[in-house]
Amino acid sequence: MNRGRFLTSAVGVGALTLGAPWGATAGAATEDDLAYANFGAATEFLVKDFYAKALKANVFAGTETSALKRGRSCAAQHAKALSDLLVGAGDVAPLEDDFEFEWPAKTFTSKNDALATGVGVLRVLLGAYQTAAATVTEPSHRVLYASLTASVGQQLAELAALNGGRAVEPFPVATDLEAASDALESYLG
Amino acid sequence: MRKRLTLVVLALVALATSASAMAAGSQSASLTIYAAASLTDVFRAFDPAPRYSFAGSNTLETQIRNGAPADLFASAAPLNTQRLYKQGLVQRPVTFTSNRLALIVPSSNPAGITSVYDLKRKPVKLVVAGAAVPVGAYTRTVLRKMGLSSVLSKVVSQETDVRAVTSKVALGQADAGFVYVTDARAVADRVKVVRIPAWAQPRVRYEIAVVSSSTRKAAAQAWVKTLLSARGQAALKEYGFLPLPAG
Repeated sequence: MNRGRFLTSAVGVGALTLGAPWGATAGAATEDDLAYANFGAATEFLVKDFYAKALKANVFAGTETSALKRGRSCAAQHAKALSDLLVGAGDVAPLEDDFEFEWPAKTFTSKNDALATGVGVLRVLLGAYQTAAATVTEPSHRVLYASLTASVGQQLAELAALNGGRAVEPFPVATDLEAASDALESYLG
Repeated sequence: MRKRLTLVVLALVALATSASAMAAGSQSASLTIYAAASLTDVFRAFDPAPRYSFAGSNTLETQIRNGAPADLFASAAPLNTQRLYKQGLVQRPVTFTSNRLALIVPSSNPAGITSVYDLKRKPVKLVVAGAAVPVGAYTRTVLRKMGLSSVLSKVVSQETDVRAVTSKVALGQADAGFVYVTDARAVADRVKVVRIPAWAQPRVRYEIAVVSSSTRKAAAQAWVKTLLSARGQAALKEYGFLPLPAG
């Protein structure tokens, strides 16, 4: 690919992301594609709830809270993109109020416990997005899931860094929808 | 002296409460309430006085449209009450509770179902309610959300209400069926419950409305008020229904 072609395609993907036209192409999505969107939207609300509770818990230093705020903003934008996709497909998008999230009792009592739980949830979501990116039929949705995979990977790295660790893996494990759903069932209420 | 006074006051309060309940009971005894089949146990326990007709909400909607002598209509889906409201056949409906869906299998679980996804993997005899029945529509929503609509090809029977689905599974005439969690509780000794993930749950809302042609509107409105009160909500909760949704 020459430089001009690369820039053109990069701009194209950028425009797709900025304009977030996920709903416009949703008509081409299959039921399996939309199942990932349903699961993803619900889990992004869960992730947003995690960041919000972590911020309220007062166990993070002032400088660390910016990573949590970035994560919370990402989760909200992801949920919105997936909801748009669902609505575009004629489906009913989930609402945050549809869920009563349940966190293990000690999740927000210490920084380590909070980060361990957050990393656990994000790993499952990352695995599900990897599978979605590889299997959904609509090309623009594959771009969306690839983008979501990258963003969740970045969040994992940030949380791991807050814990003084590293989250660099050569091949993070992809997870099918059933396994991802089972893994997060206790959190989603 | 103070102790005696307290006892007298308590006795008077008890008398007043009892009189009020009797008055409410005598009022509600004249009512005819058409209600979704899933409300059978809780409504009868909450107030045994009215004359009830329990069935699928779509059936009851049709009966009311055809002039059935109902005073109140309690539906398992807003669609049925809202359609009648738009036609002026009922007064403005109010939401009074919510519910969740579950997959039930006979206690012996002959098909070995432990997950909703097993419906796709295993040969099963599935029973569901018809698409026009609220629980049937909710079932199809769950399956669509999970990418499992193809399992509808394994349906051996489509029932007219949730009670019929529950009975078929409890009697072992089917390997699995979709019902409300409240119905699953009613036959807990004869079925096992397979949980449906929260992210795939439909938004189940129950609405109640006074029928426009009712000649007992005041009593009907009073009954709705009692259902929405702490006592009514406690009765619903006792039977596994969920609290009034926020907003």
